[in-house]
Amino acid sequence: MNAPDRYERFVVPEGTKKVSYERDTKIANAASFTVEREDHTIGNIVRMQLHRDPNVLFAGYKLPHPLQYKILVRIHTTGQSTLTQAYNLAINDLDNELQHLKKGFEDELMRFQER
Amino acid sequence: MSWKSSELDDLPKGLPEHLEIQRTRVICKNDAPIHTEGIQYSGAYASSGVDNTISFEKFSKDFKIEVIRLTEDEMEFDMVGIDASIANAFRRILIAEVPTMAIEKVFVVDNTSPIADESLAHRLGLIPINADPRLFEYLSENDVPNERNTIVYRMQVSCSKNSPQRLTVKSDKLEWLPEGSKLHEMVPGQQKTFTSFTNNQMEITKTPLGVKHEDITIARLGPGQAIELEAHAVKGIGKTHAKWSPVATAWYRMLPEVIFRKEIKGEEAVELVKKCPVKVFDIEDLANGEKKAVVARPRSCTLCRECIRGNTEEEIELRRVRDHFIFTIESASALPPEALFTEAVKILEEKCDRVLSELS
Repeated sequence: MNAPDRYERFVVPEGTKKVSYERDTKIANAASFTVEREDHTIGNIVRMQLHRDPNVLFAGYKLPHPLQYKILVRIHTTGQSTLTQAYNLAINDLDNELQHLKKGFEDELMRFQER
Repeated sequence: MSWKSSELDDLPKGLPEHLEIQRTRVICKNDAPIHTEGIQYSGAYASSGVDNTISFEKFSKDFKIEVIRLTEDEMEFDMVGIDASIANAFRRILIAEVPTMAIEKVFVVDNTSPIADESLAHRLGLIPINADPRLFEYLSENDVPNERNTIVYRMQVSCSKNSPQRLTVKSDKLEWLPEGSKLHEMVPGQQKTFTSFTNNQMEITKTPLGVKHEDITIARLGPGQAIELEAHAVKGIGKTHAKWSPVATAWYRMLPEVIFRKEIKGEEAVELVKKCPVKVFDIEDLANGEKKAVVARPRSCTLCRECIRGNTEEEIELRRVRDHFIFTIESASALPPEALFTEAVKILEEKCDRVLSELS
């Protein structure tokens, strides 16, 4: 009865930004990114990629509530890189990996179909 | 004279064996698996002098895909070198975010069948439609249904009064209307037409858009009962409703490894081969007439743990390779499974781009 419409899981409403961030006042180089209308699919991947970055001290994500469709990604870095740099670097690395994966899959498909 | 451990020649390089197993394998013990977390941090083994960074070059070198089986509806392939989170993301996207066409609106003119209108509409929605969703656009609330975003089907069945038995209505009774809705002929009223098709839909799709399986039972009619309705199919994703899921299912498992810690010979070996329900083990006859158990087909291991129950618990170790995934995709839509996976990769790339922070 009170459940939100199903399309709310992926349609960002007017006025809200897709990604917003809040710096942590008490800890240096720490912030929380709020990504609207996303879930574990992207959250777990971004967290995994952030763990691989040597400049990142802490990275984690959570869904504050299963009926509120957003994720919170919390990142602490050493002074070496800024927070948005670390976040964007992780996602760009992911993009490169996915493109390589797609190309590898298409090549393998062609090879398989020629057999 | 250099004392760095990486430069001394007679010291073993890399991690000690037990740590290497912890890093790359999940060990499945009798009650629960251990070492399930992947270690991503690049400095994890810094004190041993081993670098754990996973750079893009290392990823491209280690990454491998191998297609094992490919039929019209099903595909099994191996992906080596990716992390569990990416494998899971593909599984989630294949199930819930690859778009498909499915019947959404059903306009019922006549329904005297024993199936209620809404149950009939529910059943019609779940029927897979043989239409490539990449040729269509999404239909939003303010849009007019036209040939770019709607597929129109009509069903008109009746069972004659003199019929000795019930008539089973199968999905082949859904006929495709490439020219648009004909409801205005069936229902005289003010509304000119329910859809505004400007061209024949065949020009867009080139092939007829029927249903994928023609033998799905929709309803059964007794004598004198009839169904007359028009159904409009639109594009959607599985997140909104499961009828738009393009796969019957998609799943992955990690590559199993079965290791003998001690040799198993003789009677025990024969018993072990009998215990395994998927025939992972085989008997090898040794030169002196003894029988030894060997692992013949580790890939078919389903982790039922029959082989480590009882007295053989210490002798066999069941492991999974942490970065080797065996994917299986069963397609239930117009697209073949390899096209579905390519769409899933594209969707994940788009998601990553949308999630990039514009604040920098």
